[in-house]
Amino acid sequence: MAQKKIINSKISGRRSRRVTFNPKMARRSFLKLSGAAAAVTTAALAPKLTRKVSAGTDKKEPYPGSKKIKTICTYCSVGCGIVAEVQNGVWVRQEVASDHPVSRGGHCCKGAGAIDMVTSEKRLKSPMKRVGGKWQKISWNQALDEISKKLLDIREKNGPDALHFNGSAKVSNEMAYLQRKFAAFWGSNNIDHQARI
Amino acid sequence: MTNSLNDIRHSKLVFMIGSNAAEAHPVAMQHVLYAKEVNNAPIIVVDPRFTKLAAKATDYVRIRPGTDTAFVMGLINQIVSNDWYDKDFVRARVAGFPEMCKVASHYTPDVVEDITGIPASEVVRIAKLMATHRPGTVVWCMGGTQHSIGSSNTRAFCILQLVLGNMGKSGGGTNIFRGHDNVQGATDMCVLSHSLPGYYGIKDGSWKHWCRVWDVDYEWIKSRFHSKEYMNKKGFTLARWYEGVNQDDKINQYTPIKALIQWGCAGNSNSMLHRVKKAMDKLELVVIVDPFAPAMCTWGEKDNVYLLPCSSQYETSGSLTSTSRQFQWRFKVVDPIYESKDDYEIMAELVKRLGFADKFYKNIKKVPEDITREICKGTLTIGYNGALPERIKKHTLNWHTFDIDTLQAKGGPCDGEYYGLPWPCWTETHPGTPILYDISKPVAKGGLPFRARFGTKITYYDGRTEDLLAAKGVANPGSQVKGGYPEFKDIVPGTNWKTDLSQKTIKEAIKRGMAPFGNARARCVVWTFPDQVPVHREPVHSPRPDLIAKYPTYNDKPDQYRVYTRFKSEQNPDLVKKFPFVIITGRMVEHMGGGAETRSNKYLSELQPHVYAEINERTANNLGIRNGQMVWIESPEGGRAKVMAKVTDRVDEHTIFLPYHFAGQFEGKSLVDRYPEGMAPYAVGEPANIVTNYGYDIITQIQATKDGLCNVKPA
Repeated sequence: MAQKKIINSKISGRRSRRVTFNPKMARRSFLKLSGAAAAVTTAALAPKLTRKVSAGTDKKEPYPGSKKIKTICTYCSVGCGIVAEVQNGVWVRQEVASDHPVSRGGHCCKGAGAIDMVTSEKRLKSPMKRVGGKWQKISWNQALDEISKKLLDIREKNGPDALHFNGSAKVSNEMAYLQRKFAAFWGSNNIDHQARI
Repeated sequence: MTNSLNDIRHSKLVFMIGSNAAEAHPVAMQHVLYAKEVNNAPIIVVDPRFTKLAAKATDYVRIRPGTDTAFVMGLINQIVSNDWYDKDFVRARVAGFPEMCKVASHYTPDVVEDITGIPASEVVRIAKLMATHRPGTVVWCMGGTQHSIGSSNTRAFCILQLVLGNMGKSGGGTNIFRGHDNVQGATDMCVLSHSLPGYYGIKDGSWKHWCRVWDVDYEWIKSRFHSKEYMNKKGFTLARWYEGVNQDDKINQYTPIKALIQWGCAGNSNSMLHRVKKAMDKLELVVIVDPFAPAMCTWGEKDNVYLLPCSSQYETSGSLTSTSRQFQWRFKVVDPIYESKDDYEIMAELVKRLGFADKFYKNIKKVPEDITREICKGTLTIGYNGALPERIKKHTLNWHTFDIDTLQAKGGPCDGEYYGLPWPCWTETHPGTPILYDISKPVAKGGLPFRARFGTKITYYDGRTEDLLAAKGVANPGSQVKGGYPEFKDIVPGTNWKTDLSQKTIKEAIKRGMAPFGNARARCVVWTFPDQVPVHREPVHSPRPDLIAKYPTYNDKPDQYRVYTRFKSEQNPDLVKKFPFVIITGRMVEHMGGGAETRSNKYLSELQPHVYAEINERTANNLGIRNGQMVWIESPEGGRAKVMAKVTDRVDEHTIFLPYHFAGQFEGKSLVDRYPEGMAPYAVGEPANIVTNYGYDIITQIQATKDGLCNVKPA
């Protein structure tokens, strides 16, 4: 029944329309699409959407010279495939990976908007420091120089265990490894991350 | 996970306890629903709340929060006493069975009903369902773990699968759906205060092993620590680091914590947030590294905070390990945007300024591939060594060549290998291990026995002695020893399979058709734990004073990860009088973790803009609360949150549910103006964790956010 609902919905009904996850895409369609994915949460519907997407993109090449990069969604541990289309260094649109052996083209509403991670206006744009209760933009050099000087002072005065490091389950294996190695070389076991909780 | 998401397609039954996969792992659901529709598998969902997953269940079991062990031991008791258990499996591959059965026998259907609220007849019916539908899979998430007895819960789930003989089988297994995209990998890398990468621990031998991998002098690393004692002492955890600052409970460290680095970690996922907030002003330095302005930057008044913009993971590259233990390479999509830098660069700049870059990057020239290689060199315990960067990339680039049912490549460049080389991947030609502890396949082809980790013999508390190795005749096909055997050592003198960096030991074991870590029995009794066999204990904050006397919590732990942790002294039978409701927290599909990313996404924010408290209709009517009205949720710890009421029968009349992804408001006060200008998320609200309670697991110190108490009143 859920499948039927989707097929009858406006999105898949408008066959001629190119369906992408492009940020330029009408907000309304996006909401419908992700809302549907959220509500049904079964990829039984995903192949249907996927076919529509590929059928649409075959018709026209709106981003000449673009390349497609296989990557992995950053939201949960299922590890869904994402095909990112990049033109001149800009991520222009996102496709589901219908041939990925685990996700098989399925996406939740978060993964469907993965591209927004690099297009969001809300991203932090430069290092900042709180001065007199207000955020002040500073350079990377100033930030890192001040931070490391302060860390070394604290280490000198209070010892290495005066630092606590909360690392991340959202970084690569390589970075997670460096976080643990950092604590070891700094000289403390005060390091932990989200797996604890 | 012992199996994989795809392997659930082979399950004859799916038992999900403390998981809301429909919201937390939506794309995994296709495999669960395949089992439901094609195999006609019962989907049993055990949860205090009728979740979106429960809506997909064939059998929904409502359980009182924090009583999973009682229910599962009750199921085990039924399965054993009705003779439904897998006798061959137990005889050959399980240890401590009689001791476990004796404990389980206490949990009769009536006792289970009293503790859990699940009708006695349901206990019998579910047990029978599980016995008659094999192999079945058991799935759990944070609903199973975030309790003071979380470690007993997870052990009970494992024992259930052992008695059913569902381990090491396609369609069976214990399958924990992990949360964050790389929480499996970060756990394996042991960004943890009690272990070095690969679960080596922090004893001298572990440090020496990793010093060899890093190619640095052990004495130099030792000199970096305050003393050798602190090198071998578990550190503060994410759950309680702020006690190192506040010292509301006594700490066991020579100095309080003065500085914090918070790198890719949401502050609002900590319980008792008002105490975390208090710590912010006591710290001398707070360094937050994140792509978006997180909740933490709005707390505190002092000028002690730096915000460093790291790029998102799409602007860098590296490997990650999925919940199914599969490695995938996350290829870089675009260069870091704005002035953000990727994690590796920020780390390199920091390490350079702290003065140990030469030693830190001794073997690392090309980032990230040389780091992957260093990980492979040292992480032998869980077989990361065969997952070389070029192999991982080859799998990701050729993901279309893998079969959805077996996850094995059919032809192509990865022919015969399993997708993502699920660890352990023992050698550079090993295909990966798709199902752990599966003795039907040769070890070289992805088979494994249970690990021999705890010696070869044990005498239990009841005086019985048992051989811990697997029974005679039980081994993987092609094994030179037809039965149990201990772990491999001294192939290269003075080393064992975990410490032989030449990897000759591992290769020798595989050549003999054997597992490097031996072939033993899985334990039902853990003799180093306070509860050797899982037993029910009432939550630290229990709504049932009558049961506290019968099932009291543990004694206080004076030095748990460097801080005094209260159990018995915190358990107060009168607390429920003032705080009559149980508070539980969980996820929404639209948001992730602390929500800094998803609430900064305008589409997701529009889909799910508000935090709310789910309150049962009867409760709401009794308290005079209408749907959509603002209410105060108050915690015994003094935290309070102002949220909208969602009146619904998803929760029962004793329970309040809150999603925990929100921030930007604190105890009724907006903090939006405290974000850097223009960077406040689109959706803001009270963090649920302001009202989560005190309480931690006895072993892991995971916070007990799934069984605290609270009060509700109209705002």
